[in-house]
Amino acid sequence: MSFTRRTAQLLHEDHQQTIIVIEALDQLIARARKKAPDTNDPIVRKTLENASGAIEEEISQHFAFEENQLFTRLEEMGDVSIGEHLRGEHRALLPLGQAVGTMARTALANGFTDESWATFLNTSGELIERMFAHIQKEEMALLPALEDLLDAETDIELSTAYADSH
Amino acid sequence: MSMAGRFLGGAQDRLLPAAIPFRFFVTAAVFHLLAWMVLLLAADEVAGFRGGTGPVLAAIHLLTLGTLAMTAIGASLQLFPVVTRRALTRNWPGHFSYALMLPGVALLSWGMALHQTTAMQLGAGLTCCGLLVFVALTANNLRRASSIPVVAAHGWLALATLFVAALLGVLMIWGIELNILSNRSGLAITHLTLASYGFMGSLVLGLSLVLIPMFVLSRSLPPNPGWAQLGLTALALLVFSISFVSEFPGLIWLALIAGFGGTGFYLWQMAKILRSSMRKRLGLPFVLIRASWGFLILTLLLVTAYLAGLAIPNAVSLIGFVLLAGWLLTFLCGVLHRIMPFLASMHAAGKSGLPPLLSDLTAEGPLMLHAVCHFSAVTLCGIGIVADQSLLIRIGSALGVVGAAGFATFAIIVALKVRQGPRTS
Repeated sequence: MSFTRRTAQLLHEDHQQTIIVIEALDQLIARARKKAPDTNDPIVRKTLENASGAIEEEISQHFAFEENQLFTRLEEMGDVSIGEHLRGEHRALLPLGQAVGTMARTALANGFTDESWATFLNTSGELIERMFAHIQKEEMALLPALEDLLDAETDIELSTAYADSH
Repeated sequence: MSMAGRFLGGAQDRLLPAAIPFRFFVTAAVFHLLAWMVLLLAADEVAGFRGGTGPVLAAIHLLTLGTLAMTAIGASLQLFPVVTRRALTRNWPGHFSYALMLPGVALLSWGMALHQTTAMQLGAGLTCCGLLVFVALTANNLRRASSIPVVAAHGWLALATLFVAALLGVLMIWGIELNILSNRSGLAITHLTLASYGFMGSLVLGLSLVLIPMFVLSRSLPPNPGWAQLGLTALALLVFSISFVSEFPGLIWLALIAGFGGTGFYLWQMAKILRSSMRKRLGLPFVLIRASWGFLILTLLLVTAYLAGLAIPNAVSLIGFVLLAGWLLTFLCGVLHRIMPFLASMHAAGKSGLPPLLSDLTAEGPLMLHAVCHFSAVTLCGIGIVADQSLLIRIGSALGVVGAAGFATFAIIVALKVRQGPRTS
């Protein structure tokens, strides 16, 4: 998708960055399956480094911006439900992202045991599944709604503030 | 309506109550099962079928109206408001369309199977009224479209071709009684072409431009190839219809070239979307969707070979079978496999108040069973038609029944999970 509003375009680019990290995590899980991967492998390390930093930081900033700046505006326009539904998904995603980040940092330092890998596998699997569905919903429903919601002046104001916060 | 159920909704109400799309989808799954069952019973007549009432015609309409059109209506009623960013003005016409279509298709197919003209006429009347309600509802939405005009234009083409195809269908059924139609085979082929390539094909081509990029999370496409695809498809349908109704066969080659052109633009865009996909593991739905594109190419190649005079045994039956069961049915099953759990997640309640996981809203086992049996059924029936072997068609149809039962199990499981969530009015 491409969007005429800069705010929507920035959020779309965020989604693309998140998908790259999540997709790499998905590939790692698909390759390793039930056997814990070697954390000295450069590809495994790179994936875990991205997961330890990018997911947690990216989603917390992205979610906060959406909840504080966009959902509130949608609610003022009488469209309460998009924000309610996506807030619910944020509530599910944020602790998963934080848990995966913490486990990835621990694994980078100490490697995986069979037990820690099993926990990482389950938590990452849920994060990946929820994140892909969440991004699809935002791409299909939230970002197009911003095209109608934001006037040019508000769009510049919001997008500048969001870009500066990154 | 639940909190989740109001997603896409609120003031704009772009998410329909779950009952509307899901009753169309579940009914489509049941008619799908019935279509294979009737084909199994009529296996001896399939290879040599050249038109006329009987169980083969009934099976065709259980598939086209019962499965393909039901799916298309349910999907269109939900997807066009999202694509156009304009809510449907009312929900009751969706329920009304269903209430007319369900008995209409059942009665029409019953009448066709048993050569009962009155049942056919009544069934066709109810079905056409249901389709008309759908056409009016969707036209009203497309008229107010504010985004993605190329997809909305495909919707207009689909509605126009559906209207003409339904009109021709009614004419033929009344013509059986009155015996006034002189060019029945031309009308029948035009009816089939407008209903399949026209109505269903336009929706598949148009909604693919939105759905496939969303499924695979790919980069956006420029709109011009979409317009070229639409223009060539419309030209192909128009010239094809004129050539058959006017009995001027030379024009059909022009229609075929335009059809190849429209298909070429479509598949080129789909390939580009898949190349820029940010998801690597696309799963079983994309095995079905990719295979359906192969069947689309095969259909056009078979039509070309047939028109060029190549001796393909039972070519007409084979082309119809590959078109309906190969391309359209395979594609729609792949799409339903993806969108039913996705749509259900917006209505169903999850554990601990959190939104449910998509994997909790699907049924992988029945879907795998369906995919394996579906491909086996299409292959065996196709070979059986060419080889004129009823036994192969019977075995293929039996596998089709098993696969369709698997798909119906999936559809019912998803629908039940939606019902278990908070009521969605």
